[in-house]
Amino acid sequence: MNTVTFAFSGKGGVGKTSLSAAFIRLLCERFPNKRILAVDADPAVGLSTALSMEPPMTLDDVRLQIAQSIEKGETADAVALLGEAKFHLLDCVLERGNLSFLAIGRPEAAGCYCKVNAYLKQVLEMISGNFDFVVIDGEAGIEQINRRVMEQVDCLVLVSDSSKKGIQVIRTIEQVASRLVACRTAGVIFNRTRPGFDADALHDIPPVLSVIGDDALQAQCDMDGDSVFCLPEDSALLKGASRALETLLQRVHNETV
Amino acid sequence: MKLFDDVIAQMFALLPKTPDLFSEYKESLCAPEGDKNAILFRSDMAFELGGSGKTSVSSVLFGDFPDGKDAVSVYGKDLCELSADTPFAHLTFVQLKDSREENLRYEQLKNIGFCLFQLYPQGYHIRISPSAGKEQVRVAKTALAADAPLSFLNIGCSLIHLLKTQPEVAAVQTVYVTANDVDYAALSALARRAKQITEAVKHTLEVNSLDCASCKMKPICDEVEGLRELHFKMEKERKPYES
Repeated sequence: MNTVTFAFSGKGGVGKTSLSAAFIRLLCERFPNKRILAVDADPAVGLSTALSMEPPMTLDDVRLQIAQSIEKGETADAVALLGEAKFHLLDCVLERGNLSFLAIGRPEAAGCYCKVNAYLKQVLEMISGNFDFVVIDGEAGIEQINRRVMEQVDCLVLVSDSSKKGIQVIRTIEQVASRLVACRTAGVIFNRTRPGFDADALHDIPPVLSVIGDDALQAQCDMDGDSVFCLPEDSALLKGASRALETLLQRVHNETV
Repeated sequence: MKLFDDVIAQMFALLPKTPDLFSEYKESLCAPEGDKNAILFRSDMAFELGGSGKTSVSSVLFGDFPDGKDAVSVYGKDLCELSADTPFAHLTFVQLKDSREENLRYEQLKNIGFCLFQLYPQGYHIRISPSAGKEQVRVAKTALAADAPLSFLNIGCSLIHLLKTQPEVAAVQTVYVTANDVDYAALSALARRAKQITEAVKHTLEVNSLDCASCKMKPICDEVEGLRELHFKMEKERKPYES
């Protein structure tokens, strides 16, 4: 299967999760016969609320279970570890229609779990191939890029508001990602922009995919705790996300053909 | 090999007297191989063996069979007769070519056990937790809707085929249990005991200490005939430079 992976990154509080959720909704609706995997890679675990999907366990729960069993001296062989990870992985994947949801979770235990993390990463890579589209809502900043959690991404979506800080963060992410991520295409979505913001005046940033102003409908949706699937179709967020998605799909398609 | 004999006997005592199916291994009956990374999604699944919190048991045990034949047994309903998640046990009995305890190697037992992780039949998504001794299986709707629906016999033959690629394996008997009137909790306890025996074999072959009173394996050695003898025999034969 030719999986297309979208990864969202940017400064905290710029709307990465809302945009990831919007992409997921759009993909689910436009491709009802395709399988979509939503990955909440942000320790803040907001995508779960945005999609109204709460998985029974997170990947970090699995990691902890395995780490504890290693500490008890139960399973330390590579094959057994991988088997253990694969066993629990299916319990982490929550399915609803053509959408599956997986949360990385919030690491709360101290200590080095590199070995376990390596197996979990391997397991993640294995399952991605079962999906047509994978959407990763990443952690704010460059940590996950640095740690190569997002090593292979088709479309890197950088999200910023109109602040200098937000724009500086996406420039930094883009620079780091250009060295560390095997990325086919990248673009910027400006979200929650202030009146008078001129994206065309900015240089040294990847191509702008969409500019979205304040969205009262989305703010109301957030306040009510409703999922992105309840958002009216004419909301600025959905319309802006739709433009960005179209552009990225077209680019990936052109590259493939 | 006698180490697992007691556990094997107790396991069979928990099963009905005669299996609902007993068939010798035939290579032609092996299930078609699937993709090792494929996920069987809930929406494509007919049911899950050991799913919905029902008990599941997985165990690999080593012993000698009188007839030395490769065979598959089923106690309870076969796949095409099941329609909902059910308790499940999968027991695999392996006879080694050289089953003398003094020639036993832990790596041998471990590698044979790991064969279970390399089985990917199409439409039969196996997941095994070594730490919990569980094996849960998602069975695809398509696998059961085929003209010749997938059966435990097909799966068992695939497993035997795989295990026979291990040079040390002489014979394999694999048992699938879905019967309602089986004490799965007791089977699960026996599977844990079998795992402890395998761990004790590792300890026996690797640890030099002769002080049983301070050894964490003492309880299992007290109960399993032959383990302590094996340990002391190995220790006696160990050359000074090996310690």
